[in-house]
Amino acid sequence: MKSIRRGQHLITLMLLIFLIGFGYLIYRLQRDSGFYISHASSASLGCVYDRSGEVLFDPHATAEDYGGDYFLDVGNLIGDDSRQMTNTLVAQNKADLANFSFMLGEQKDGKAAIYTTLDHNVNRKVYNAFGSKDGCAVAYNYKTGEIYVCLSKPSVNILNHYNDINNLKEGSLLCKVFYPTVPGSTQKISTTIAALESMGYDTLCSKEFSCAGTYNNNHSQVIKCHSDGHGTQDIYAAFANSCNPFFAQLIEDPDWSLADIQKTYRSMGYRVNGQGDLNYLDINGISAYTASTDVSDKDDFDSQWGCMGQGTTLVSPLQMMVWQSAIANQTGTSTMPYLISFTKSVSGDRKNEAVTETGSQMFSARSAAYIRDIMLRNGKENYAGVLPGTDIGVKSGTAQVKNGTEENSLLTGFVDDEDFPIAFCIVIENRVKGEVSTSDIAAVMLQQLKASLNATE
Amino acid sequence: MYKNGLSYAGVVSLLLLTHLSMLGIVLVRGNYEEPKDLAMLACAVLGLDLVGIIASLCYRQMTYTLDLMLLGILNMSLIFQSCFGGVHLSVKFLITCVASLISCELGFLLTRNHEWIRHQKKYIYLVIGILILCILLFTGGRSMWITFKGFSIQPSEFIKPCYILICAASIVELHKKIKVTFFYVSPDTLCMLGATLVIFGLQWWCRDLGSLPTFAAVFGCAVVCRFCYPRAKISKSWIAAAAVAGVLVLIAAWKLAPAYVQERLHVDIWADQYGTGYQQCQALIGIARGGWLGMGPGQGSLHNVFAYESDIVFSTICEEWGLLYAGIAVLIVLIMLTTVLMNPPKSYYHATMTAGIVAAFVAQMSLNIFGSCNLIPFTGVTLPFISQGGSSLVTCGFMVGMLKAGQSPLFRHQAAKLREDAAAELPSLPKIPFLQKKDAPKKPSGNAPQRSHTHRNDKNRRGNA
Repeated sequence: MKSIRRGQHLITLMLLIFLIGFGYLIYRLQRDSGFYISHASSASLGCVYDRSGEVLFDPHATAEDYGGDYFLDVGNLIGDDSRQMTNTLVAQNKADLANFSFMLGEQKDGKAAIYTTLDHNVNRKVYNAFGSKDGCAVAYNYKTGEIYVCLSKPSVNILNHYNDINNLKEGSLLCKVFYPTVPGSTQKISTTIAALESMGYDTLCSKEFSCAGTYNNNHSQVIKCHSDGHGTQDIYAAFANSCNPFFAQLIEDPDWSLADIQKTYRSMGYRVNGQGDLNYLDINGISAYTASTDVSDKDDFDSQWGCMGQGTTLVSPLQMMVWQSAIANQTGTSTMPYLISFTKSVSGDRKNEAVTETGSQMFSARSAAYIRDIMLRNGKENYAGVLPGTDIGVKSGTAQVKNGTEENSLLTGFVDDEDFPIAFCIVIENRVKGEVSTSDIAAVMLQQLKASLNATE
Repeated sequence: MYKNGLSYAGVVSLLLLTHLSMLGIVLVRGNYEEPKDLAMLACAVLGLDLVGIIASLCYRQMTYTLDLMLLGILNMSLIFQSCFGGVHLSVKFLITCVASLISCELGFLLTRNHEWIRHQKKYIYLVIGILILCILLFTGGRSMWITFKGFSIQPSEFIKPCYILICAASIVELHKKIKVTFFYVSPDTLCMLGATLVIFGLQWWCRDLGSLPTFAAVFGCAVVCRFCYPRAKISKSWIAAAAVAGVLVLIAAWKLAPAYVQERLHVDIWADQYGTGYQQCQALIGIARGGWLGMGPGQGSLHNVFAYESDIVFSTICEEWGLLYAGIAVLIVLIMLTTVLMNPPKSYYHATMTAGIVAAFVAQMSLNIFGSCNLIPFTGVTLPFISQGGSSLVTCGFMVGMLKAGQSPLFRHQAAKLREDAAAELPSLPKIPFLQKKDAPKKPSGNAPQRSHTHRNDKNRRGNA
């Protein structure tokens, strides 16, 4: 009988395991049914709003209701439910928009919604400030992580329902803020941080190198400067001048090693020399590229060029902006950006409230404070007009793309104001002299944003 | 509690209530073109119910819970299958249901005498051998299906009950031991291990890895039952070694699984919603769409998805009938499996056999339901009693017959006599515990207090009077 009873226990155990599994299945179905139904071809979805309640996505939107270009500036960021774009806020968060519950089924009058941190009014003005130029811009609160501005031009007018999809300009269907671009001289921020981490502030400040317009490196390869020569400079001057010969000599300097550069780059999120997996930032489901570069020989042109933001170095504008938070906060740790402030369930209950998160330690707080000082001095001397009355720390860059046939203009930085803690990055594609500049767009963005945030308060 | 778990009237009421409510739902919410479609379905279901209820009264042995539950689940399945995509009586499924009911009786008759069936093991091995030969000779190219003039059968399904029978062991068989190198092993266990290797190898070769976990569950159960046998004298270190070996085999199987299995193990179905993950995504969307009460019989859209009536049938039912009715169907199967707990077997052979049957059903239900819902890798096996497929249904019926045979026999005249005796002797005591205690007397444990001892013995004495 004992053996038989043990057999009975075995049966009971098997049935119990199945029942537990079935119970878990029911729980999963209750919890995730909105997610499942959001993948159906005919799901009833709610709206997406900006921080002031302006609609950014409406599944029933028409040009008559909203006006032709109403959604243009957020077309490739917020997206829609058409599945034409996958790396967008709506595509990645359809479950939160689904007006559906397992208990009650589809609710046509449901209150499911996503409330974002974006400021649509400012976003639109920055988009328009690009004029005829293409590019992208992103700005966020480096204390809280709220993204206020995020746009990519050209964009797509979702109200046209992709009727003109074959005539759309290249890059219209993706938000370039999240994709890699050649950083140009903005890379010198990372290289300076690496030097600070390895040599220390005093040693770095003691380094002076001369620039005569060109520099023959240790492999006798020529590094050109964009000017006829900056003369002898220290790190502050060279940083402001974006002097390539200075940085080539700094990289060759025996006071630090190749491993030092690679170590700091890796801790900042770079994929170095193709080793390891590519890192991506997750912005409410949207996948954003971080950075990658190749640095294999300090004395070689390609490595030096990579440390100056050319060659194979690629960084996403979002990552450039995120680094600014680590600098502006003087902590060396970044504040993680987010787009969704909170969501509402089908019954209108608030949920998924955003929480400020910080990333891992990328560099020391001391290095953050020094690079902040260097950037602020550059801002004071060269970009004082961007936000009158407030100090900003910035670094500009010019990136050669398409085999040097075009040049992109970049500007990344932060506002040194406790009440207006904004970090940003702006890219203008194929800019030629005399056209709208990154500082013009920065001025529009920061001034409009300051006015808008003050008004909200 | 009665010997069958539920009273006869209770089971009949549950059966009729379930079927009538389902037919009512079809009437009100069903997608049917003409009332005659519904009328034919109702006639088939209620007619089968009536025949089954009357037939169960004619049995000498009281096994009505299992008989009626089998009838209940088969008729539920008939309604489900007849409503997918539109209401029309599925005559093919009806015929299969009848075949399953007959198969159940066959399984019962063949296995109810444990002494007889355990002496037929050599013939069972022979049947397995013939079935394997059929698979190798007639299926054609690493497949499990034999197709002849549009009629398909899956011989590997028939291997399942045979395998359960060879995995079951009697105490006598376990006592016989021979020395193999350094170990004393029962020849029965050796034969079972050999057959297991052959069957597993066949499954691997035929790429029918979906059924492999079902056989593995039966095998695992057989091994555990052999460990559980008190006189087996298997040390704890042996048990630990066996557990480690099991884990290693699982890891090896995981690592060495073919590419298509690896793909299923690691697939993100939502990332490939219109490719590899299509069936599961549609299944989950269907379940969500159905909610608790469903969209209505024939109103769903999953019938446009491949294998809607077999591999993802649970989702198809959820979509049209809701999780409530899908849950009831699962519950009925579970009640069938728990009857062996209410009425335990008398012999060790039957105990190991019923454990194997429960393992097979639980494994197969888990693979189908949890697999189609993306909780575990999707293997594409049938859901017992519910999925369309003649081989599967007939096998399930046969296995229910075996389950029925595994219960302690209680004959109608015995039950009546016991009830009369009880009524005469102890009119104040309820009848249910009386019957239960009589057939399964509990031995007092060594640590039990004396008062409890006496109390139990008193009860047993009264029960045996």
